[in-house]
Amino acid sequence: MKTSKTDYLAILRALVEHHVDFIIVGGVCAVLHGAPIATFDLDVVHSRAPANVDRLLAALAWLDAHFRGQGGRPLTPDRSHLSSPGHQLLMTRFGPLDVLGVIGRGRGYDELLAQTVSLDLQGGLKVRLLDLQALIQTKEEAARDKDKAVLAILRRTLGERTKV
Amino acid sequence: MASHESPGSSAPPATPIDAEPTHSEDGVDLTLIRWMLSLTPTERLEVLQECARSILRLRGEDVED
Repeated sequence: MKTSKTDYLAILRALVEHHVDFIIVGGVCAVLHGAPIATFDLDVVHSRAPANVDRLLAALAWLDAHFRGQGGRPLTPDRSHLSSPGHQLLMTRFGPLDVLGVIGRGRGYDELLAQTVSLDLQGGLKVRLLDLQALIQTKEEAARDKDKAVLAILRRTLGERTKV
Repeated sequence: MASHESPGSSAPPATPIDAEPTHSEDGVDLTLIRWMLSLTPTERLEVLQECARSILRLRGEDVED
């Protein structure tokens, strides 16, 4: 089976064009801040306000999003999934997308918003991402082995950035 | 141990004394961080996408170009 072309910019563009309120977190956030790590999925925390969930549902439909790991059954996320604090692990036509209700110690979009920065990407695409200090904090809070593995790189990236 | 320095030579060492370290004490490659920081955010994303595609190809998956 052919694997879809991974295109994070295309996923982000779809979310922005559907006016979804979201924050980029996780590995892609780390890379955008300059950390040399590899990841395969795009993680976002979305606002769970009802109107935003509607916009997110529309964006996910456009992206042909369905749950990963469901065998031959293409299950699609619904309003109850996206209104919950849970993590929805999806596959889209442009690659894997994880839609997260909360991260770290149960912090959602509204709690994280004050610790974000805005970034202009290619073609005037404006996105919001967790600032690097906050990303480090969420990794420390999660304290899973996979989070600990990248903490040293994130801390050193923060250190090198302050020299630039 | 044999010295590779010419007799009477005062040639500088291969790595300048004031060069920045290549690795942190905990083993992180600082040269990669500096390289990534020299790129724009969009370029960093493109590096990541190419990295992901390369790894998938190495794993033998049929990846779209």
